[in-house]
Amino acid sequence: MVPILNKLQILWYEKRIGNHQTKHDFLQSFLPIRIQELNTKKDQKLHHLSLKKSHTILPYEIKANIKSDYWQTVYEYETKKIETKYYWRLRALTQAMKRKQNKSDHWSVEEPKHLQKIQELEQKKQTELAKVKAKFVVNPSDLNKEAYASNNEAIERAYQDQLAQIETKYQNKIEQFSNRANNIIAKHKERLDYYHRKLKIAEQEKAIYPMDENVVLKLDNLSMHFGGLKAVDQLSFEVKEGEIFGLIGPNGAGKTTVFNCITRFYRPTGGLMYFRNNLGEVVRLNDIVVHDIIKEGIVRTFQNVEMIWELNVIENLLVAAHTSYRSTFFGQLFNSRLLRQEEVVMRLKATKILEDLDLSAYAYVYPYGLPYGILKKIELARTLMVNPKLIILDEPAAGLNDAETENLAETIRKIQKEYNATIFLVEHDMGLVMNICDTVCAVSFGKKLAIGTPKDIQGSKVVREAYLGGE
Amino acid sequence: MTYKTEMKQLRKHRWDTIKHHPYFGFLIIVFLMFAVQLIRLLGVDVPVAVLRAFGSTMIFTIIALGFSILLGYGGLASLGTAGFVGLGSYFVVYFTNQLEFSIFLTIVAVLIVAVVLGTVVGFISLRIEGMYLAIITLGLSEILNEVFKRATALTGGTTGEGIDGIIFFKNLIAVDHNTVFIFISIVLFIIMLLTMNIMKSPTGRALLAMRNSSSAAQAMGVSIFRYRLLAFIISTVYAMLAGVLYMTYWSFTIPSTWSLGFSLNILAAVIVGGSQSIYGIILGTFMIFGLDLAVFKQIQFFVDNPAITIVLNGVLIIVVIMFYPGGLIRLVQTLGVKLKLWFQKLKKKWRDYYYGSDIE
Repeated sequence: MVPILNKLQILWYEKRIGNHQTKHDFLQSFLPIRIQELNTKKDQKLHHLSLKKSHTILPYEIKANIKSDYWQTVYEYETKKIETKYYWRLRALTQAMKRKQNKSDHWSVEEPKHLQKIQELEQKKQTELAKVKAKFVVNPSDLNKEAYASNNEAIERAYQDQLAQIETKYQNKIEQFSNRANNIIAKHKERLDYYHRKLKIAEQEKAIYPMDENVVLKLDNLSMHFGGLKAVDQLSFEVKEGEIFGLIGPNGAGKTTVFNCITRFYRPTGGLMYFRNNLGEVVRLNDIVVHDIIKEGIVRTFQNVEMIWELNVIENLLVAAHTSYRSTFFGQLFNSRLLRQEEVVMRLKATKILEDLDLSAYAYVYPYGLPYGILKKIELARTLMVNPKLIILDEPAAGLNDAETENLAETIRKIQKEYNATIFLVEHDMGLVMNICDTVCAVSFGKKLAIGTPKDIQGSKVVREAYLGGE
Repeated sequence: MTYKTEMKQLRKHRWDTIKHHPYFGFLIIVFLMFAVQLIRLLGVDVPVAVLRAFGSTMIFTIIALGFSILLGYGGLASLGTAGFVGLGSYFVVYFTNQLEFSIFLTIVAVLIVAVVLGTVVGFISLRIEGMYLAIITLGLSEILNEVFKRATALTGGTTGEGIDGIIFFKNLIAVDHNTVFIFISIVLFIIMLLTMNIMKSPTGRALLAMRNSSSAAQAMGVSIFRYRLLAFIISTVYAMLAGVLYMTYWSFTIPSTWSLGFSLNILAAVIVGGSQSIYGIILGTFMIFGLDLAVFKQIQFFVDNPAITIVLNGVLIIVVIMFYPGGLIRLVQTLGVKLKLWFQKLKKKWRDYYYGSDIE
């Protein structure tokens, strides 16, 4: 009974931590965005206010011949508008004339009518132009500076009042919002600390497995038998923290089977697997279900890219963050606030990862039809969505050309360095393996041949025999 | 520029944000469905068949939406839809005639039963896939159908059973098609919103991942068990809810309606419309269930030769599937693009005619 209670307790604490973490992250990323939003809104309002002021003061300004340059440009703009309007009308009339000229038998009778129409149009244009001129251009005899002076003062005062009002209003808004947000952030942080402490206490009761301090993954006599075939036979090795570990071997040596055992797609016939997860505790992988492996911090890619073709690249990345979502099904059904906040946090994270891997150009592109090298890189980006401790790559360079392989090697090193992830890969491209791996393990027919630095493996006689055959 | 032009732009911008809101299209669709009723209220003589066509399109769209989550998102085939819809309708019969419960209480009861049934079918789907799953669900549907026929005390047997009205709160109210039309359109609107939310949420993405590759989905933390169950539960809930609405609209149910043919029709509606688009599904459902009543039955030639309508409908479906495997929605999209280009061309032609060409 006690272990189950302990497990439930831990689950509950983890859920609470997730919820608080999401809200905390969301608010922290949302606070500057909101402040900027408010500021732009304020600027817009001020802009409109100034426009409105100039609109009200316009007639007096013209009469007083103030800012004549500005009003001259406006006048020109208005005139041009009228002129283009009448240009098109005239063109339509002449076109109609041409059309009728070809058809009509009595053109000499009809022509004066058309000419008169054109004249009328010209008159209309002139009257409109005169109206605009009367509005914007003032006669020297009509100059009236006193009216401007008296009105300007009142208008300016009202404008300043409104301006101050808007300024204070938005200042208050920003202050209030940031205060509230900071309070909530602090509260969430407090709760987070509390639950982390509680979680630590609860976890002390969990079973502890022996493993060295700097080791991430440990296989202990792993065996996998398919009927009579021993795909993996008594294999044991250790993967150290932060290194790039390569597993090599001829075709059919059981490399992918090892991967499938670690990620629990296969149930191993014998042997134990231990893993140090994100929280620093050691778990036995044999006890974990296949879809919970990712929660411990192990992510894998597949030999042939497995994209979701109906979704664009950034949404493909969000699928990988599936386990990080805390909102329940009903929350998603009703598009709850928590979900919306989580979506913002996740999207920001995905955009950052895409930027890091030089993929931001493809963020809103559908993956169908993209080059193979890009798809492989997107798959790599997808693994980073869950802050992985161990990334398992199944033949990352398969089907890539030399330039793409070079790029991939660079990307893998970058991931290892910047995301503090241990990388475990199976590869046939010896150039890549010898180039990037810190430790290489060679297997043949499910058995370990040699383990060591790339140089050791290159010099090993056993390995050469396995690849090229005995003498 | 000046104050006035700037304000004009701002108003335009506001309207644009409303126009492009994801829910705006649903509102338009429900309004269009409802417009048929409004026209009738204005005094224009709309044939009853057209009204019925729109009513049944709305009801069956709900089933098809559930089915699209199952097939288009989950990648699971099922032919058991008819049985669940029938069960929903018989629940209304039993609850109204014998227990005299309110319709809202009936809906709650139906939802609970649907969740249980969906879980059962979901459990079956864990071990079986593809065509075999379709056949198993077909068997389940046939069992239900046989129960409708044999359990005469509850269902009225092969001759069917009707209700005299709906109990909204306390009293039995005679069914009025107009009020029910409002009720159904509101429910349809809500269902469309919820479906949209599911499709855009992590759940929808997880379902799509499962459909593309179950092993990759598992590696990304999607529990196949959970999401298969969920897909079946959603589709069953939608189907049984549609059964309740069917009863409120038609007030009569008979076992022969809920046969294999109905399930196949729903499947056809989803495939023809486009299995991942809400608008496509509405179009597909209208094509399968409403086209005959709303269009063909209004033309004298087709009324005289009813056999031709069936052939024509079949030919239409074949043509759509052959040239637009993505469904009617693809057809509409390509047509839209083409129409836009054609319109631009026409505009230029008119311009040359009216103003004269620039080159001259």
